[in-house]
Amino acid sequence: MITNRQRALRRLRHNPIAVIGGLMVISVILAAIFAPFVAPFPSHAGAVVDFRHRHAPPDALHWMGTDNVGRDILSRVIFGYRVSLTLVAGVLGVAMPFGVILGMAAGYFRGRTEFIIMRLTDIMLAMPPLVMALAITAILTPDLGNAMIAITALWWTWHCRLIYRVTSAIVTEDFIEAARLSGASHTHILLREILPNCMAAISVKTTLDAGFVILFGATLSFLGLGVQPPTPDLGTMVSTGAQFLPDQWWEAVMPGLGVLYAILGFNLLGDGLRDMLDVEIG
Amino acid sequence: MGSYLLRRAAGFVFVLFGLAVVIFVIARIVPGDPARIALGPLATHEQVLQLRTEMGLDQPAIIQFATYISGVVRGEFGKSLLTNRQVSRDLAEALPATLELVLLTLILMTCVAMPLGMLAARRHNSAIDNISRLVSLLGVVTPGFVVAILLQLLAAETGRFLPITGRLSPDMSFSADITHLLVVDALLRGRLDVAGDAVLHLILPALALSTAGIGQVMRITRSAMLDIARREHVDTLRSFGVPGHVIALKYMLRLASVAPLTILGLEFASLIGNAFVVELVFSWPGIASYGVRAILSKDFNAVMGVVLVSGLFFVVANLLIDMLVGVLDPRLRRRA
Amino acid sequence: MTALLEIDNLSVGFTRDGETTDVVRDLSMRVEQGARVAVIGESGSGKTVTMKTILGTLPPNGRVLGGAIRFDGQDLLTLAPRDRDRLKGTDISIIHQDPLAAFNPVFRIGTQMDDVLRYADARLGQPSSAADRGDRITTVLRQVQLQDPARVRHSYPFELSGGMRQRVLIGMALLHRPKLLIADEPGTALDVTTQDEILRLLDDLVAAQNLTLVLVTHNLAVVRQNADYVYVMQHGRLMEHGLVRQVFDAPQSTYTRQLIAAIPPLYGAGVTAQSGRGTAKLIELAAAAKHFAAPKRWFAKPPPSVMAVRDVSLVINRGDCFGIAGESGSGKTTVARMIMGLLAATAGKVEIGGRDIASLRRDPAFRRRIQMVYQNPASSLNPKRTVAQMLAVPLAFAGDTAHPRRVAELLAQVELPPEFARRYPHELSGGQKQRVAIARALAVRPEILVLDEPTSALDVSVQKTIVDLLLSLREQLDLTYVFISHDLSLMRNFCNRIAVMWRGMLAEQGQTDDVFDRPVHPYTRALIAAVPVLTEAEAARKPQITLAERRAVLASTVE
Repeated sequence: MITNRQRALRRLRHNPIAVIGGLMVISVILAAIFAPFVAPFPSHAGAVVDFRHRHAPPDALHWMGTDNVGRDILSRVIFGYRVSLTLVAGVLGVAMPFGVILGMAAGYFRGRTEFIIMRLTDIMLAMPPLVMALAITAILTPDLGNAMIAITALWWTWHCRLIYRVTSAIVTEDFIEAARLSGASHTHILLREILPNCMAAISVKTTLDAGFVILFGATLSFLGLGVQPPTPDLGTMVSTGAQFLPDQWWEAVMPGLGVLYAILGFNLLGDGLRDMLDVEIG
Repeated sequence: MGSYLLRRAAGFVFVLFGLAVVIFVIARIVPGDPARIALGPLATHEQVLQLRTEMGLDQPAIIQFATYISGVVRGEFGKSLLTNRQVSRDLAEALPATLELVLLTLILMTCVAMPLGMLAARRHNSAIDNISRLVSLLGVVTPGFVVAILLQLLAAETGRFLPITGRLSPDMSFSADITHLLVVDALLRGRLDVAGDAVLHLILPALALSTAGIGQVMRITRSAMLDIARREHVDTLRSFGVPGHVIALKYMLRLASVAPLTILGLEFASLIGNAFVVELVFSWPGIASYGVRAILSKDFNAVMGVVLVSGLFFVVANLLIDMLVGVLDPRLRRRA
Repeated sequence: MTALLEIDNLSVGFTRDGETTDVVRDLSMRVEQGARVAVIGESGSGKTVTMKTILGTLPPNGRVLGGAIRFDGQDLLTLAPRDRDRLKGTDISIIHQDPLAAFNPVFRIGTQMDDVLRYADARLGQPSSAADRGDRITTVLRQVQLQDPARVRHSYPFELSGGMRQRVLIGMALLHRPKLLIADEPGTALDVTTQDEILRLLDDLVAAQNLTLVLVTHNLAVVRQNADYVYVMQHGRLMEHGLVRQVFDAPQSTYTRQLIAAIPPLYGAGVTAQSGRGTAKLIELAAAAKHFAAPKRWFAKPPPSVMAVRDVSLVINRGDCFGIAGESGSGKTTVARMIMGLLAATAGKVEIGGRDIASLRRDPAFRRRIQMVYQNPASSLNPKRTVAQMLAVPLAFAGDTAHPRRVAELLAQVELPPEFARRYPHELSGGQKQRVAIARALAVRPEILVLDEPTSALDVSVQKTIVDLLLSLREQLDLTYVFISHDLSLMRNFCNRIAVMWRGMLAEQGQTDDVFDRPVHPYTRALIAAVPVLTEAEAARKPQITLAERRAVLASTVE
């Protein structure tokens, strides 16, 4: 007998791309956690100025070069991952459970509950998310916390819709009615019968979304509405660096590649998980 | 089909109304006085009071809401603090630039991405397939602002053959007053030089804007084609000897285009978002540039106008796509 | 006689994840000109793959590993692709299995038929005009007895009934008179009366046009009616072949014998008659009706509401095994759900043990008295829960606290070893899953089990073991069964009383023997007459009804 886990592991071995993605994700997470030890110039994460080394192109000492005030870009990218991952944890930590609960409720209870939740979701989905997040952060003061609030306020709708779709399919299965006939409560059915069947979709979606939250946050700060200097943030670094194009190209391109690396990692891992768990997340 | 359209349209009005309500609520739950925020900490109390009256903030919330909704219905969003003109007028001026950019982007997304996705599916697991999968993956994961910056670098390397700012070179003078779309009007008026110049200006921003969508649409088209190739009805036609290209281009394509079209509708949201980045980087005088300036200067009326128009864009695009999908798939017309 | 088709030692393999497994091994077969040959086997026997190899439509991961196929003097496997394509749809035609999946859902029937005809004509070097093709399509649709060819051509596949779609598929295969006609499980997905019509139509067309037929099926009874020679396949190998009568009368292989034994007889000495256990009334329906109001929608004409069940009166006694027979849409499942209290009757009454179900529906004690076993165990078992976890829910409901012992007990009742408690559904076979579903229903110690087609998702050989289990459980636990099915042969051997439903009404009810031996209602007669049977003796005892009479019954409308 092969267990689910063994089968998943076997599929993983046939899926080197997912393994690469996983390694990329792990490297980003480890770099963020151990930033003070990993970064070559940990002090450059703050408001340090070193005019002797400003605009230095990538070399053996500064692998990604230095910025307009002489700080090591690699060190700032590594510290930037801290900000990005904090954002991911904050947004998905709230939006995912919220969306899952509403989605399951709408799919399971149907009727008026479904109508209210799903029409609200429709309205929220009609707002271009970046535009809304921009508006919200602008009305509040731009900083990491407010960016997190703005993104979370929009992000739950996608999880809600996904889980609603998954749940709607599950409730038509006979085992839900069978559970009800054998005396199971609504809580039991939601948590024990339905939720386990949503886990595959949830884990794939969370992984893919981690990448997109990073992208989203970086875009906000690129437009000047996210994390404020001197906190090292990847989007801010790109937008500052863009002033020195094309001659000091590395100042914009290197942090850009840093964002790309993290998003790519989460995306490859998420795609691999999707193939492995065989879920459709639309 | 008639009742199908009516129902779609009713849903459309409902969503737009809901959008207006949500925006109103967000604007009103903001901590602090919008007038004070708009004027900054240096303004006097009298100035704030005067602006409050001007903005109608001294009225009860319900009256404010009624004024706001009736304005929205007439397309009036009030005065912009930034330009000191009606927001609707600013928006009308900025709209054609954005529209032109978005239309070209959509054309790129359908005319480039769908054929490539089909090709990849036809040559499943070949070199072409693998390369196109890599390209679409990169398209999906690369942030719009990184693409924009890389394109600017590329333009610099190629000796600025492709312009990187604005809609027209400064030495060109032309007023687009027929459709307000530069390229179209220039062609209508027979100004080939203007049209050519405008197209050159469009290329880089449109490329930057379409990267993510091209990747996404390619992916979806490919997997839809692969999925449909396994269906029994394809087997039926094959077993009767109907040629492969007829099966692919007539029978499979129609079914396979439903999924990417639907995705295109959803992608439209991120496309509008990305337009903010792209317009900013390429100094494109559209709605998004206007929106960024409005946001940075806390110009509430303008922000609300921009958000509503963006929402309208999204909802209309999805309505059109729903109609198109309904034409392509008779089952949806019947069920929906 | 010359052989039209000859297969020599054919082996076909499928490659998945770098591993090749054979699905057909060393198969040899011979089809004479003008013969009616059947290929029979259960799922996974390789019968359909063989047909795809003949047609040249194997999927990309399928490969011929050895052997030869000769058709009409040509070696198909070495033929140039162009020449092979020329045969498709002209010299060799196939009638596809699933009538809905076989059509592209977004093109009209006429368009799809037209393209088939157009490119076949072009390949033969006889390009045709659209008008000419239209005439030929209309002709062929008339041949397959579709009343309104113009409407059919203009319809989308989903707008036609299953029977109509199956007729169109037959017509499609006959557009060019094929030298070899392959029919892949024709009518299998349809109701028994429709299936019978389709099989007769096919037989008539084969006779009238003098076609050579290869009939692929899993149903032995169909073989008897529609073929003269049979090949029996299992796991990709040929088990036995011979004239149909010889194979049926004196089967050589144990597999064939098993197949024949697994089919419940409709008449004769083999029938196991079931008896009731007294006359204590347990379930009563009195003029019960269920009417589904169509959902209201904005801006749309309200669709007509559906009268699913009307005026059903029946009494089920304690200890009965009561069968409710009917085709799809007959209302049999609605009746079952009304008895379960899952649907409220819109008129009349439904009583269990003398109490109105409307007052019982929310009563846990009532819930424990009546349980249900579903048709498809793949859907009725939660894939993420172990057997023990699934059984724990009803056990807690019944107030049984000594779980582990009761779990083992329940598994023993359904003849599964106790270690199965730790298994997930995907670690069980179809039959084992259905046993677990039965154990779950038994966990609350019910008196009534509603069995909704409990065996129809299983292979014939497994079906019999489940039926035997249910019969012995009825003895042991003194259960009352309400058995919903479309399979009359099975009900003949399982139920002591039976009700036949038709268009939401009760056509007839009575003791099983009476209903089968002396059916009164014309629909019951038509239904029993359409059941395919294994022997001439049984066929002779079926109600005799002419085609015209049956058509009249099926076409008659309810006032």
